[in-house]
Amino acid sequence: MTEPRAAGHTEASRLFELRSGPTRDLAGQAGAVAEACHAMAIRFHRGGKLVVFGAGGPSTDAQHVAVEFVHPVIVGKRALPAISLTTDVATVTGIAEQEGVAAIFAHQIRVLAGPADIALGISADGDSDSVLAGLEAARELGLLTIALTGGDGGRIAASPAVDHLLAAASADPRVVKELHVTIYHVLWELVHVFFEQPGVLAPGVVA
Amino acid sequence: MPQGDSQERNGGGAGAMESLYPFLYSGAADLPAVLEQVRASTVAKATEILELRRVIAARDGARLADCARRAAARFGAGGRLFAFGNGGSATDAQQLATLFLHPAGGARALPAFALANDTSVVTALCNDIGVEVVFARQLAAFGGRGDIAVGLSTSGSSANLLRAFGEAARRGMLTIGLAGYDGGKMAELDSIDYLFVAPSVSVHRIQEAQTTIYQVLWELTLAALGATGSQRGGNRGPATSQEVSDVPRHTG
Repeated sequence: MTEPRAAGHTEASRLFELRSGPTRDLAGQAGAVAEACHAMAIRFHRGGKLVVFGAGGPSTDAQHVAVEFVHPVIVGKRALPAISLTTDVATVTGIAEQEGVAAIFAHQIRVLAGPADIALGISADGDSDSVLAGLEAARELGLLTIALTGGDGGRIAASPAVDHLLAAASADPRVVKELHVTIYHVLWELVHVFFEQPGVLAPGVVA
Repeated sequence: MPQGDSQERNGGGAGAMESLYPFLYSGAADLPAVLEQVRASTVAKATEILELRRVIAARDGARLADCARRAAARFGAGGRLFAFGNGGSATDAQQLATLFLHPAGGARALPAFALANDTSVVTALCNDIGVEVVFARQLAAFGGRGDIAVGLSTSGSSANLLRAFGEAARRGMLTIGLAGYDGGKMAELDSIDYLFVAPSVSVHRIQEAQTTIYQVLWELTLAALGATGSQRGGNRGPATSQEVSDVPRHTG
Protein backbone atom coordinates (compact mmCIF):
# COMPACT_ATOMS: atom_id res chain seq x y z
CA MET A 1 0.00 0.00 0.00
CA THR A 2 3.00 2.30 0.32
CA GLU A 3 3.14 3.30 -3.29
CA PRO A 4 -0.52 4.14 -3.84
CA ARG A 5 -0.58 6.09 -0.59
CA ALA A 6 2.41 8.11 -1.69
CA ALA A 7 0.84 8.71 -5.09
CA GLY A 8 -2.43 9.76 -3.47
CA HIS A 9 -0.64 12.11 -1.17
CA THR A 10 1.15 13.70 -4.10
CA GLU A 11 -2.10 14.20 -5.98
CA ALA A 12 -3.84 15.70 -2.93
CA SER A 13 -0.88 18.00 -2.36
CA ARG A 14 -0.98 19.12 -5.97
CA LEU A 15 -4.68 19.98 -5.64
CA PHE A 16 -4.08 21.90 -2.40
CA GLU A 17 -1.23 23.81 -4.02
CA LEU A 18 -3.59 25.04 -6.78
CA ARG A 19 -5.08 27.33 -4.11
CA SER A 20 -1.85 29.08 -3.17
CA GLY A 21 -1.32 31.41 -6.13
CA PRO A 22 -4.90 32.75 -6.12
CA THR A 23 -4.72 33.24 -2.33
CA ARG A 24 -1.57 35.32 -2.68
CA ASP A 25 -3.34 37.28 -5.42
CA LEU A 26 -6.19 37.98 -3.00
CA ALA A 27 -3.71 39.42 -0.52
CA GLY A 28 -2.72 41.76 -3.35
CA GLN A 29 -6.33 42.93 -3.59
CA ALA A 30 -6.48 43.83 0.11
CA GLY A 31 -6.88 47.53 -0.69
CA ALA A 32 -9.97 46.83 -2.79
CA VAL A 33 -11.36 44.63 0.00
CA ALA A 34 -10.90 47.48 2.48
CA GLU A 35 -12.70 49.92 0.15
CA ALA A 36 -15.63 47.52 -0.20
CA CYS A 37 -15.81 47.06 3.59
CA HIS A 38 -15.93 50.81 4.08
CA ALA A 39 -18.71 51.27 1.51
CA MET A 40 -20.73 48.45 3.09
CA ALA A 41 -20.26 49.88 6.58
CA ILE A 42 -21.62 53.25 5.42
CA ARG A 43 -24.76 51.55 4.08
CA PHE A 44 -25.33 49.52 7.24
CA HIS A 45 -24.74 52.65 9.31
CA ARG A 46 -27.57 54.35 7.41
CA GLY A 47 -29.93 51.45 8.06
CA GLY A 48 -29.41 49.52 4.86
CA LYS A 49 -29.54 45.74 4.62
CA LEU A 50 -27.40 43.29 2.67
CA VAL A 51 -29.05 41.32 -0.14
CA VAL A 52 -26.98 38.35 -1.39
CA PHE A 53 -27.50 36.12 -4.41
CA GLY A 54 -25.84 33.49 -6.56
CA ALA A 55 -26.91 30.53 -8.71
CA GLY A 56 -25.79 26.92 -8.33
CA GLY A 57 -22.90 26.47 -5.91
CA PRO A 58 -22.77 30.21 -5.16
CA SER A 59 -26.35 30.00 -3.83
CA THR A 60 -24.85 28.21 -0.84
CA ASP A 61 -22.36 31.05 -0.47
CA ALA A 62 -25.22 33.56 -0.52
CA GLN A 63 -26.84 31.70 2.36
CA HIS A 64 -23.54 31.50 4.20
CA VAL A 65 -23.08 35.27 3.90
CA ALA A 66 -26.58 35.88 5.25
CA VAL A 67 -26.07 33.73 8.35
CA GLU A 68 -22.63 35.26 8.86
CA PHE A 69 -24.09 38.75 9.22
CA VAL A 70 -27.34 37.91 10.99
CA HIS A 71 -25.86 35.49 13.51
CA PRO A 72 -22.24 36.53 14.07
CA VAL A 73 -19.73 33.88 15.00
CA ILE A 74 -17.76 36.19 17.25
CA VAL A 75 -19.42 37.04 20.55
CA GLY A 76 -20.15 40.72 20.97
CA LYS A 77 -20.47 41.60 17.28
CA ARG A 78 -23.87 43.05 16.53
CA ALA A 79 -26.27 41.31 14.20
CA LEU A 80 -26.60 43.05 10.85
CA PRO A 81 -29.52 42.58 8.45
CA ALA A 82 -28.74 40.29 5.53
CA ILE A 83 -30.91 38.03 3.37
CA SER A 84 -30.14 35.48 0.70
CA LEU A 85 -32.42 35.55 -2.35
CA THR A 86 -31.95 31.81 -2.86
CA THR A 87 -33.90 30.35 0.05
CA ASP A 88 -37.51 31.08 -0.94
CA VAL A 89 -38.00 28.08 -3.20
CA ALA A 90 -41.60 28.97 -4.00
CA THR A 91 -40.64 32.40 -5.27
CA VAL A 92 -37.47 31.28 -7.04
CA THR A 93 -39.18 28.48 -8.92
CA GLY A 94 -42.24 30.65 -9.55
CA ILE A 95 -40.17 33.40 -11.16
CA ALA A 96 -38.12 30.87 -13.12
CA GLU A 97 -41.28 29.27 -14.46
CA GLN A 98 -43.09 32.45 -15.45
CA GLU A 99 -40.42 35.04 -16.21
CA GLY A 100 -37.35 32.90 -16.78
CA VAL A 101 -34.32 31.97 -14.74
CA ALA A 102 -32.52 35.23 -15.50
CA ALA A 103 -35.16 37.14 -13.51
CA ILE A 104 -35.01 35.17 -10.22
CA PHE A 105 -32.91 37.75 -8.35
CA ALA A 106 -33.83 40.95 -10.22
CA HIS A 107 -37.52 40.47 -9.42
CA GLN A 108 -36.89 39.92 -5.72
CA ILE A 109 -34.55 42.92 -5.55
CA ARG A 110 -37.15 45.21 -7.13
CA VAL A 111 -39.73 44.16 -4.55
CA LEU A 112 -37.66 43.52 -1.42
CA ALA A 113 -34.73 45.94 -1.64
CA GLY A 114 -34.39 49.71 -1.41
CA PRO A 115 -31.86 52.43 -2.29
CA ALA A 116 -30.08 52.24 1.09
CA ASP A 117 -29.28 48.55 0.68
CA ILE A 118 -26.25 46.61 -0.50
CA ALA A 119 -26.42 44.03 -3.30
CA LEU A 120 -23.76 41.30 -3.25
CA GLY A 121 -23.78 39.06 -6.33
CA ILE A 122 -21.62 35.93 -6.48
CA SER A 123 -20.68 34.16 -9.72
CA ALA A 124 -17.72 31.80 -10.13
CA ASP A 125 -17.18 32.68 -13.79
CA GLY A 126 -18.77 36.13 -13.83
CA ASP A 127 -21.24 35.10 -16.51
CA SER A 128 -24.37 34.21 -14.55
CA ASP A 129 -27.37 35.79 -16.30
CA SER A 130 -29.42 35.92 -13.12
CA VAL A 131 -26.63 37.47 -11.03
CA LEU A 132 -25.86 40.07 -13.70
CA ALA A 133 -29.54 40.98 -13.99
CA GLY A 134 -29.75 41.21 -10.20
CA LEU A 135 -26.80 43.60 -10.04
CA GLU A 136 -28.31 45.70 -12.84
CA ALA A 137 -31.67 45.90 -11.08
CA ALA A 138 -29.86 46.86 -7.88
CA ARG A 139 -27.95 49.62 -9.64
CA GLU A 140 -31.19 51.03 -11.11
CA LEU A 141 -32.64 51.21 -7.59
CA GLY A 142 -29.57 52.92 -6.17
CA LEU A 143 -28.14 50.07 -4.09
CA LEU A 144 -24.42 49.73 -3.48
CA THR A 145 -23.35 46.86 -5.75
CA ILE A 146 -20.55 44.40 -5.05
CA ALA A 147 -19.62 41.40 -7.20
CA LEU A 148 -17.48 38.37 -6.40
CA THR A 149 -16.28 36.68 -9.58
CA GLY A 150 -13.57 34.39 -10.91
CA GLY A 151 -12.18 33.23 -14.22
CA ASP A 152 -11.90 36.20 -16.56
CA GLY A 153 -14.68 37.99 -14.65
CA GLY A 154 -17.10 37.56 -17.55
CA ARG A 155 -19.83 40.07 -18.27
CA ILE A 156 -20.27 40.89 -14.60
CA ALA A 157 -16.70 42.20 -14.24
CA ALA A 158 -17.26 44.35 -17.33
CA SER A 159 -20.65 45.65 -16.20
CA PRO A 160 -20.99 49.32 -15.28
CA ALA A 161 -23.58 48.17 -12.72
CA VAL A 162 -20.82 46.94 -10.38
CA ASP A 163 -19.36 49.41 -7.85
CA HIS A 164 -16.86 47.04 -6.22
CA LEU A 165 -15.42 44.02 -8.00
CA LEU A 166 -13.45 41.37 -6.13
CA ALA A 167 -12.19 38.69 -8.52
CA ALA A 168 -10.59 35.35 -7.63
CA ALA A 169 -7.62 34.72 -9.91
CA SER A 170 -8.49 31.18 -10.98
CA ALA A 171 -10.56 29.51 -13.70
CA ASP A 172 -11.32 26.52 -11.45
CA PRO A 173 -14.78 27.06 -9.91
CA ARG A 174 -13.77 25.11 -6.78
CA VAL A 175 -10.75 27.31 -6.17
CA VAL A 176 -12.84 30.41 -6.92
CA LYS A 177 -15.40 29.29 -4.33
CA GLU A 178 -12.73 28.92 -1.68
CA LEU A 179 -11.38 32.40 -2.39
CA HIS A 180 -14.92 33.75 -2.20
CA VAL A 181 -15.40 32.19 1.25
CA THR A 182 -12.28 33.96 2.49
CA ILE A 183 -13.39 37.23 0.87
CA TYR A 184 -16.81 37.27 2.49
CA HIS A 185 -15.46 36.19 5.86
CA VAL A 186 -13.09 39.14 5.67
CA LEU A 187 -15.85 41.50 4.47
CA TRP A 188 -17.99 40.47 7.41
CA GLU A 189 -15.28 40.80 10.04
CA LEU A 190 -13.79 44.05 8.79
CA VAL A 191 -17.10 45.82 8.15
CA HIS A 192 -17.40 45.76 11.92
CA VAL A 193 -14.10 47.58 12.25
CA PHE A 194 -15.55 50.59 10.43
CA PHE A 195 -18.88 50.15 12.09
CA GLU A 196 -17.30 50.42 15.51
CA GLN A 197 -15.72 53.75 14.56
CA PRO A 198 -18.69 55.81 13.34
CA GLY A 199 -16.50 58.84 12.72
CA VAL A 200 -15.32 57.31 9.45
CA LEU A 201 -18.91 56.65 8.34
CA ALA A 202 -20.13 60.24 8.34
CA PRO A 203 -21.22 61.84 5.07
CA GLY A 204 -18.34 63.48 3.30
CA VAL A 205 -15.59 61.32 4.83
CA VAL A 206 -13.59 59.95 1.94
CA ALA A 207 -10.33 58.13 1.67
CA MET B 1 -19.87 28.28 11.02
CA PRO B 2 -21.15 27.21 13.91
CA GLN B 3 -23.44 29.98 13.89
CA GLY B 4 -25.97 27.94 15.74
CA ASP B 5 -23.45 26.50 18.13
CA SER B 6 -22.23 28.75 20.89
CA GLN B 7 -19.37 26.38 21.60
CA GLU B 8 -17.92 27.34 18.27
CA ARG B 9 -17.76 31.01 18.96
CA ASN B 10 -14.58 32.88 19.61
CA GLY B 11 -14.25 34.73 22.87
CA GLY B 12 -12.31 37.94 23.14
CA GLY B 13 -12.83 40.84 25.49
CA ALA B 14 -11.93 44.49 25.22
CA GLY B 15 -8.23 43.72 25.57
CA ALA B 16 -8.32 41.36 22.62
CA MET B 17 -10.21 43.91 20.56
CA GLU B 18 -7.69 46.60 21.41
CA SER B 19 -4.75 44.47 20.36
CA LEU B 20 -6.50 43.54 17.11
CA TYR B 21 -7.66 47.00 16.21
CA PRO B 22 -5.67 49.58 18.19
CA PHE B 23 -6.97 52.50 16.10
CA LEU B 24 -10.43 51.92 17.57
CA TYR B 25 -9.05 53.17 20.84
CA SER B 26 -7.03 56.09 19.52
CA GLY B 27 -10.01 58.40 19.49
CA ALA B 28 -9.24 59.65 16.00
CA ALA B 29 -11.53 59.18 13.01
CA ASP B 30 -8.68 58.81 10.58
CA LEU B 31 -10.08 57.01 7.55
CA PRO B 32 -6.79 56.41 5.71
CA ALA B 33 -5.37 54.81 8.86
CA VAL B 34 -8.42 52.60 9.30
CA LEU B 35 -8.32 51.54 5.66
CA GLU B 36 -4.64 50.66 6.04
CA GLN B 37 -5.35 48.59 9.15
CA VAL B 38 -8.14 46.75 7.34
CA ARG B 39 -5.90 46.17 4.33
CA ALA B 40 -3.14 44.74 6.54
CA SER B 41 -5.66 42.55 8.37
CA THR B 42 -6.88 41.17 5.03
CA VAL B 43 -3.32 40.26 4.03
CA ALA B 44 -2.78 38.56 7.41
CA LYS B 45 -5.93 36.45 7.03
CA ALA B 46 -4.94 35.37 3.51
CA THR B 47 -1.55 34.32 4.85
CA GLU B 48 -3.22 32.33 7.66
CA ILE B 49 -5.36 30.28 5.31
CA LEU B 50 -2.42 29.71 2.98
CA GLU B 51 -0.44 28.21 5.86
CA LEU B 52 -3.39 26.20 7.21
CA ARG B 53 -3.92 24.53 3.83
CA ARG B 54 -0.23 23.69 3.67
CA VAL B 55 -0.39 21.95 7.07
CA ILE B 56 -3.49 19.94 6.13
CA ALA B 57 -2.11 18.85 2.75
CA ALA B 58 1.06 17.55 4.40
CA ARG B 59 -0.74 15.84 7.27
CA ASP B 60 -3.86 14.46 5.58
CA GLY B 61 -3.10 14.17 1.86
CA ALA B 62 -2.64 10.39 1.92
CA ARG B 63 -5.73 9.80 4.09
CA LEU B 64 -7.81 12.00 1.79
CA ALA B 65 -6.77 9.82 -1.13
CA ASP B 66 -7.63 6.65 0.85
CA CYS B 67 -10.99 8.12 1.82
CA ALA B 68 -11.72 9.07 -1.78
CA ARG B 69 -11.04 5.51 -2.92
CA ARG B 70 -13.49 4.20 -0.31
CA ALA B 71 -16.11 6.71 -1.37
CA ALA B 72 -15.56 5.86 -5.03
CA ALA B 73 -16.09 2.17 -4.26
CA ARG B 74 -19.40 3.03 -2.58
CA PHE B 75 -20.57 5.22 -5.46
CA GLY B 76 -19.45 2.56 -7.92
CA ALA B 77 -21.68 0.04 -6.15
CA GLY B 78 -24.67 2.39 -6.25
CA GLY B 79 -24.13 4.18 -2.95
CA ARG B 80 -25.33 7.68 -2.24
CA LEU B 81 -23.87 10.53 -0.21
CA PHE B 82 -25.62 12.41 2.61
CA ALA B 83 -24.08 15.68 3.81
CA PHE B 84 -25.03 17.60 6.95
CA GLY B 85 -24.00 20.45 9.21
CA ASN B 86 -25.45 23.44 11.09
CA GLY B 87 -25.46 27.12 10.14
CA GLY B 88 -22.60 27.95 7.81
CA SER B 89 -21.69 24.26 7.80
CA ALA B 90 -25.18 23.56 6.45
CA THR B 91 -24.29 25.67 3.42
CA ASP B 92 -21.07 23.68 3.04
CA ALA B 93 -23.11 20.48 3.14
CA GLN B 94 -25.30 21.92 0.38
CA GLN B 95 -22.25 22.87 -1.66
CA LEU B 96 -20.81 19.39 -1.20
CA ALA B 97 -24.06 17.76 -2.33
CA THR B 98 -24.45 19.92 -5.43
CA LEU B 99 -20.77 19.37 -6.26
CA PHE B 100 -21.52 15.66 -6.65
CA LEU B 101 -25.06 16.02 -8.00
CA HIS B 102 -24.52 18.78 -10.55
CA PRO B 103 -20.80 19.31 -11.06
CA ALA B 104 -19.42 22.07 -13.24
CA GLY B 105 -17.74 21.22 -16.49
CA GLY B 106 -19.69 18.10 -17.36
CA ALA B 107 -18.09 15.86 -14.72
CA ARG B 108 -19.95 12.69 -13.82
CA ALA B 109 -23.05 13.34 -11.70
CA LEU B 110 -23.41 11.25 -8.55
CA PRO B 111 -26.33 10.94 -6.10
CA ALA B 112 -25.95 13.25 -3.11
CA PHE B 113 -28.32 14.89 -0.64
CA ALA B 114 -27.91 17.82 1.76
CA LEU B 115 -29.98 17.05 4.86
CA ALA B 116 -30.60 20.69 5.82
CA ASN B 117 -32.44 21.41 2.56
CA ASP B 118 -35.83 20.15 3.67
CA THR B 119 -37.12 22.83 6.02
CA SER B 120 -40.33 20.89 6.66
CA VAL B 121 -38.49 17.85 7.99
CA VAL B 122 -35.91 19.92 9.89
CA THR B 123 -38.48 22.12 11.63
CA ALA B 124 -40.75 19.15 12.36
CA LEU B 125 -37.92 17.31 14.09
CA CYS B 126 -36.85 20.43 16.01
CA ASN B 127 -40.40 21.10 17.16
CA ASP B 128 -41.50 17.56 17.95
CA ILE B 129 -38.33 16.10 19.43
CA GLY B 130 -35.33 18.41 19.45
CA VAL B 131 -32.50 19.70 17.32
CA GLU B 132 -30.28 16.81 18.43
CA VAL B 133 -32.19 14.33 16.28
CA VAL B 134 -32.01 16.39 13.09
CA PHE B 135 -29.76 14.47 10.66
CA ALA B 136 -29.76 11.23 12.72
CA ARG B 137 -33.48 10.75 12.06
CA GLN B 138 -33.05 11.51 8.37
CA LEU B 139 -30.17 9.04 8.07
CA ALA B 140 -32.34 6.44 9.80
CA ALA B 141 -34.97 6.99 7.11
CA PHE B 142 -32.72 7.18 4.05
CA GLY B 143 -29.29 5.77 4.80
CA GLY B 144 -28.19 2.23 4.24
CA ARG B 145 -25.24 -0.03 3.97
CA GLY B 146 -23.27 1.13 0.97
CA ASP B 147 -24.03 4.81 1.49
CA ILE B 148 -21.74 7.62 2.63
CA ALA B 149 -22.31 10.14 5.46
CA VAL B 150 -20.35 13.40 5.57
CA GLY B 151 -20.80 15.68 8.58
CA LEU B 152 -19.22 19.13 8.92
CA SER B 153 -18.69 21.07 12.13
CA THR B 154 -16.13 23.69 13.09
CA SER B 155 -16.17 22.83 16.81
CA GLY B 156 -16.40 19.11 16.20
CA SER B 157 -18.90 18.93 19.03
CA SER B 158 -22.38 19.63 17.59
CA ALA B 159 -24.73 17.22 19.36
CA ASN B 160 -26.78 16.43 16.27
CA LEU B 161 -23.66 15.51 14.31
CA LEU B 162 -22.43 13.18 17.05
CA ARG B 163 -25.79 11.38 16.99
CA ALA B 164 -25.87 11.32 13.20
CA PHE B 165 -22.47 9.63 13.03
CA GLY B 166 -23.66 7.03 15.53
CA GLU B 167 -26.71 6.30 13.39
CA ALA B 168 -24.67 6.22 10.18
CA ALA B 169 -22.13 3.79 11.64
CA ARG B 170 -24.89 1.52 12.92
CA ARG B 171 -26.32 1.42 9.42
CA GLY B 172 -22.98 0.49 7.86
CA MET B 173 -22.40 3.77 6.09
CA LEU B 174 -18.93 5.05 5.28
CA THR B 175 -18.60 7.97 7.71
CA ILE B 176 -16.52 11.07 7.05
CA GLY B 177 -16.18 13.96 9.52
CA LEU B 178 -14.78 17.45 9.07
CA ALA B 179 -13.95 19.38 12.22
CA GLY B 180 -11.79 22.25 13.44
CA TYR B 181 -9.80 23.20 16.55
CA ASP B 182 -8.54 19.84 17.92
CA GLY B 183 -11.47 17.88 16.50
CA GLY B 184 -13.69 18.35 19.55
CA LYS B 185 -15.93 15.45 20.56
CA MET B 186 -15.86 14.10 17.00
CA ALA B 187 -12.22 13.13 17.67
CA GLU B 188 -13.42 10.89 20.51
CA LEU B 189 -15.96 8.95 18.42
CA ASP B 190 -15.35 5.50 17.04
CA SER B 191 -18.24 5.99 14.63
CA ILE B 192 -16.21 8.16 12.22
CA ASP B 193 -14.10 6.29 9.68
CA TYR B 194 -12.23 9.31 8.39
CA LEU B 195 -11.94 12.48 10.45
CA PHE B 196 -10.26 15.49 8.90
CA VAL B 197 -9.40 18.29 11.32
CA ALA B 198 -8.52 21.84 10.26
CA PRO B 199 -6.18 22.74 13.12
CA SER B 200 -7.07 26.38 13.71
CA VAL B 201 -8.88 28.39 16.39
CA SER B 202 -10.52 30.70 13.81
CA VAL B 203 -14.00 29.57 12.78
CA HIS B 204 -13.50 31.39 9.48
CA ARG B 205 -10.16 29.83 8.60
CA ILE B 206 -11.52 26.42 9.64
CA GLN B 207 -14.45 26.80 7.25
CA GLU B 208 -12.20 27.92 4.43
CA ALA B 209 -9.89 24.94 4.94
CA GLN B 210 -12.84 22.55 5.20
CA THR B 211 -14.10 23.84 1.86
CA THR B 212 -10.78 22.84 0.32
CA ILE B 213 -10.86 19.45 2.06
CA TYR B 214 -14.27 18.48 0.70
CA GLN B 215 -13.68 19.88 -2.75
CA VAL B 216 -10.35 18.04 -3.04
CA LEU B 217 -12.13 14.93 -1.72
CA TRP B 218 -14.70 15.31 -4.51
CA GLU B 219 -11.99 15.65 -7.14
CA LEU B 220 -10.04 12.64 -5.82
CA THR B 221 -13.27 10.59 -5.64
CA LEU B 222 -14.13 11.29 -9.27
CA ALA B 223 -10.55 10.46 -10.28
CA ALA B 224 -10.75 7.18 -8.35
CA LEU B 225 -14.08 6.32 -9.97
CA GLY B 226 -12.60 6.98 -13.39
CA ALA B 227 -9.58 4.85 -12.60
CA THR B 228 -11.70 1.85 -11.60
CA GLY B 229 -13.96 2.19 -14.64
CA SER B 230 -17.02 1.89 -12.46
CA GLN B 231 -20.39 2.26 -14.07
CA ARG B 232 -22.68 5.14 -13.31
CA GLY B 233 -24.45 4.69 -10.02
CA GLY B 234 -28.21 4.72 -10.06
CA ASN B 235 -30.04 1.90 -8.42
CA ARG B 236 -28.40 1.09 -5.17
CA GLY B 237 -26.79 -2.21 -4.63
CA PRO B 238 -25.43 -3.60 -1.42
CA ALA B 239 -21.75 -2.99 -0.81
CA THR B 240 -19.61 -6.08 -0.58
CA SER B 241 -18.77 -7.30 2.88
CA GLN B 242 -15.10 -6.80 2.09
CA GLU B 243 -15.69 -3.19 1.12
CA VAL B 244 -17.55 -2.48 4.33
CA SER B 245 -15.49 -4.51 6.78
CA ASP B 246 -12.07 -3.24 5.84
CA VAL B 247 -12.89 0.38 6.45
CA PRO B 248 -10.63 1.56 9.24
CA ARG B 249 -12.44 3.07 12.21
CA HIS B 250 -11.37 6.25 13.90
CA THR B 251 -8.47 7.30 11.79
CA GLY B 252 -8.69 10.85 13.08
